[in-house]
Amino acid sequence: MPQVLSTKEQSLFRTVVRNYEDKQYKKGVKAADQILRKNPKHGDTLAMKALIMNSQGKTDEAFALAKVALQCDMKSHVCWHVYGLLYRAVKNFEEAIKAYKFALRLEPDSAQIQRDLALLQIQMRDYQGYIVSRRAMLTGRSGMRQSWTALAVAHHLNGDLAEAERVLTAYEDTLKNTPSKTDFENSEAVMYKNSLIAEQGDIERALEHLESAGKHNLDRLAVLELRATYLTQLGRKEEAAKAYSTLLDRNSEYKKYYDGLIEAMEVHLDDLKARKAVYDGYAEKYPRCDAARRLPLDFLHGDEFRDAADKYIHRMLDKGVPSTFANLKHLYSDSFKKETLPSLVQQYIDSDKSSANEEPKRNGDTSKGASAAFYFLAQHYNYYLSRDLDKAMEYIEKAIELEPESVDFHMTKARIWKHNGNTQKASEIMEQARSLDTRDRHINTKAAKYQLRNDESEAAIKTMGLFTRAETVGGPLADLHDMQCVWFLTEDGESYVRQGKIGLALKRFTSIYNIFDVWQEDQFDFHSFSLRKGQIRAYIEMMRWEDHLREHPFYSRAALSAISVYIRMHDVPLLNGANGVGHSDADDAAERKKAAKKARKEAQKAEREAAAKKAEPNKPTSQGSEDTKKKDDDPDGAKLAATTEPMNDAMKFLTPLLQFSPKNIDAQIAGFEVYIRRRKYLLALKCLLAAAALDKEHSKVHEQTVRFKLALDKDSETLPPKSLEVIKSEFTLLAASVDLTKFNDEYLAKYKDCARRALSALKIRKLLNPESSSKCEKDVAAVISLPTTTVEEATEALDLLTSWKSSEIEGLRSKAAAKWPKATIFAAKA
Amino acid sequence: MDIRLLHPSDIPHVQHANITNLPENYFMKYYLYHALSWPQLSYVAVDVSRPKKTLYDYPRIVGYVLAKMEEDPPDGVQHGHITSLSVMRTHRRLGIAEKLMRQSQKAMVETFSAQYVSLHVRVSNTAALRLYRDTLGFKNEKVEAKYYADGEDAYSMKLDLGFIREQIQDEQDAEADEGEPVGELGSKEGAGDLTVRKKDEGKKRKVRVGRGLGVGDLVERDESQKA
Ligand SMILES: CC(C)(COP(=O)(O)OP(=O)(O)OC[C@H]1O[C@@H](n2cnc3c(N)ncnc32)[C@H](O)[C@@H]1OP(=O)(O)O)[C@@H](O)C(=O)NCCC(=O)NCCS
Repeated sequence: MPQVLSTKEQSLFRTVVRNYEDKQYKKGVKAADQILRKNPKHGDTLAMKALIMNSQGKTDEAFALAKVALQCDMKSHVCWHVYGLLYRAVKNFEEAIKAYKFALRLEPDSAQIQRDLALLQIQMRDYQGYIVSRRAMLTGRSGMRQSWTALAVAHHLNGDLAEAERVLTAYEDTLKNTPSKTDFENSEAVMYKNSLIAEQGDIERALEHLESAGKHNLDRLAVLELRATYLTQLGRKEEAAKAYSTLLDRNSEYKKYYDGLIEAMEVHLDDLKARKAVYDGYAEKYPRCDAARRLPLDFLHGDEFRDAADKYIHRMLDKGVPSTFANLKHLYSDSFKKETLPSLVQQYIDSDKSSANEEPKRNGDTSKGASAAFYFLAQHYNYYLSRDLDKAMEYIEKAIELEPESVDFHMTKARIWKHNGNTQKASEIMEQARSLDTRDRHINTKAAKYQLRNDESEAAIKTMGLFTRAETVGGPLADLHDMQCVWFLTEDGESYVRQGKIGLALKRFTSIYNIFDVWQEDQFDFHSFSLRKGQIRAYIEMMRWEDHLREHPFYSRAALSAISVYIRMHDVPLLNGANGVGHSDADDAAERKKAAKKARKEAQKAEREAAAKKAEPNKPTSQGSEDTKKKDDDPDGAKLAATTEPMNDAMKFLTPLLQFSPKNIDAQIAGFEVYIRRRKYLLALKCLLAAAALDKEHSKVHEQTVRFKLALDKDSETLPPKSLEVIKSEFTLLAASVDLTKFNDEYLAKYKDCARRALSALKIRKLLNPESSSKCEKDVAAVISLPTTTVEEATEALDLLTSWKSSEIEGLRSKAAAKWPKATIFAAKA
Repeated sequence: MDIRLLHPSDIPHVQHANITNLPENYFMKYYLYHALSWPQLSYVAVDVSRPKKTLYDYPRIVGYVLAKMEEDPPDGVQHGHITSLSVMRTHRRLGIAEKLMRQSQKAMVETFSAQYVSLHVRVSNTAALRLYRDTLGFKNEKVEAKYYADGEDAYSMKLDLGFIREQIQDEQDAEADEGEPVGELGSKEGAGDLTVRKKDEGKKRKVRVGRGLGVGDLVERDESQKA
């Protein structure tokens, strides 16, 4: 039987609860202990004490105590609620939900428990459960709009739009007076309802509702945009055209509006004159409008294009707008435009227009037009579709001569060096650019990035430190973590990969993984916040985005990098734990072994220390400092790198990658590499088939197809006959009787002019026929002479030969050095 | 460059633009807080001409304005505030910042009846000062000494939005609508709290506000280090 408290102790118990709510943890524990002295088995008190201890950071003790509490009083909703809260705190949401449900069964009327349960259900996307909870909550508080909206949201997310709408209407029907026009919550509710009607596909009714209920809505832009969309969908062209022109008068920099207008005006797409006229109208009406002047360049051809482009370029160069090229380079996919644009700029220079420009001059600066023109040409020759790096350099020097202090010009100069493959020079020049404007963070960012590309990790973090917050404990790196600076962590990690500092690299990629965890957790508070704020459409949008958060390229890039590190660790186990030891080509195996052992030892030591620290009695923490940072017990990633199961660890990154970016071919390729090493043939095959469906001729798909066949042939004995059968029936990329050598030769013959594919085929040839080794190596080295080979491909060839410990390395290197004399990677080592 | 509303899915790239361009940075949650409290006020400039690399490419953000309504304004006057504004260096001087600001200002009046908009700017930031003062018509309110973390002073600037109110009035008259002037926000109960942390706050701060709808529940006490 649970113990019963005396009146005095009951009041003491209330104090404990209050102390907890006020975050007076020490006092709370003291008061709880006072109760427990007399009633050592009082479940609720034990549970509250556990809850407080958890807030003090003593998670393990808290769990242990909460279990004792439950043993003392299985029938207490408080004990179960606390148990759920503890699970919630360690993010074990499934267990938390179970515990809340127990608690709720014991105390069905508790609004608090019901609320906690509902929040977790929606966080976990348990829509069915959420509907049940919301319905129960509505019964309790049916007078509030929020309760109804919440239920509607539950149905909406569950896909039952009609029911969601019905719930909103049911609430409206309870209203006695029409809400005032300035009632913001009502205003948003109307728009939410409208979105539900439209989502059901009933556009007619949506428009009607918008024009009646939404007439004076406070979200004016939404009304205007929806109206334009609905009218278009309903084929009411004339009104739609009017609606779009209203939108363009609000914002003439949105392509979608022009497209909508032109469609509604039924201008034929081939009638370029008429299309252009629409844009001209807006260009005239809005002298500062860019889109109306630029967008026609997308569809005009020939002389019309030339005229329009000439006007546009003049205007921009006269004004000295540095971003002119950035604004036009997308036109380069059209070769006529690619030729025309630079020739117009050249004419601009030749005609001396630049010194007598029409726009009023700023601070008597005469060089603006000319330098902007040279700058344009430098960017033109630096662009991958029109690249001639020597010319680019020539023009940027001319520009710099006219404006020696220009940050932008120096930035481009650094980029030209980068494209030359000279990371060292690139970094130096970017640093020079930075020094020209030390107050601008953008150039500071670029300088740091180029330092990372040149593997100057220390210098880069120092550069970043010029703009991070000085007070942050842990310095710039800690601040960049706090501020979720994904780009830096990614580039830093990739640089560590190049330097062979595997631990640090994994550390950075793991940080990004964790940032995404935080981003997912971040939505939690909004489940209640947004209902209170009444901004439902924005909330729904956030939910849908969060549903596939990890498809973001920020995630995939880090995940792919991490996976490839783990793969290398698997293939060359001695690489484990090496921070600062060279690539797999570092010959000194004994040295590497020693380093790995040392790293593992260090990791163990760190672990021991961390454990010891945990055992220490908690030092008093100051009030409210609940999120004092936990000390990182593996700052250099030594533990990560000391793993003995890299393929297991890779799964952490791979699973979300395959789940959320299945159509990213690199993800599937990486998936294959992991699964084949884990001998999960069916899963490997699934990845391979997915990749082949995306691009059958991809070099890696070719490699993996052959490797899969080889692995299967080799391992077929050990596989359960059933799975073997399934695999064989699914693996249709190769005929059962295929001659692999022939298959590979055909691929090579077909793609002999493509460096990347040729390299893959040669790799496979050597694999199939080790005797052909030396010929293969020679052929790899020869790839460099293909006219289209890029620096990246040449680097791949070099890496391949290096991994083979080939005698051709030097030959390839010197050939590459001759072809790309400015590139640092191919330069002879001193 | 498209100028359009900021959506939650834009946030990682907005955060990227912010930390690339400015020393005042925020967690993702703080951006979400803006996007989910005043979804009408924040705008982005998007480079739509980039060819997609994968199916999962997100629009590249080259500029943004992150804006809010002042919660519980001390002077009792509804007004907007610019939390952050920046444009990537590669896309400056195209008029992007100006256009972002104008869109946001208009929505502040239309949706939230803002009377004015305020912001802070470093005294040394000539580009921004010219934009605010000369192009947009902001006035210097006062200098706030050592406002920024590095000790630099800030100008506290204000722009009266009466001219937008008039514009809207004119538009409505033209439409022959008898739209009433937009008045005070509703005042139903609805309190709660949300914990959001941003860079300039040392620790989480929960503030309960017992009233006000639309006037949110989260009050920033520490206004240092913004925009
Ligand atoms: C300030 C900033 C946002 C301006 O962005 P932008 O898109 O280039 O500005 P716009 O093109 O809209 O400029 C509008 C007007 O502002 C003024 N202006 C902008 N940049 C200027 C500069 N570098 N020098 C002088 N005036 C400038 C001009 O009057 C300009 O009109 P004009 O081009 O017709 O002469 C941008 O420089 C930036 O991101 N800087 C770094 C971050 C920052 O300082 N943010 C502001 C924090 S308060």
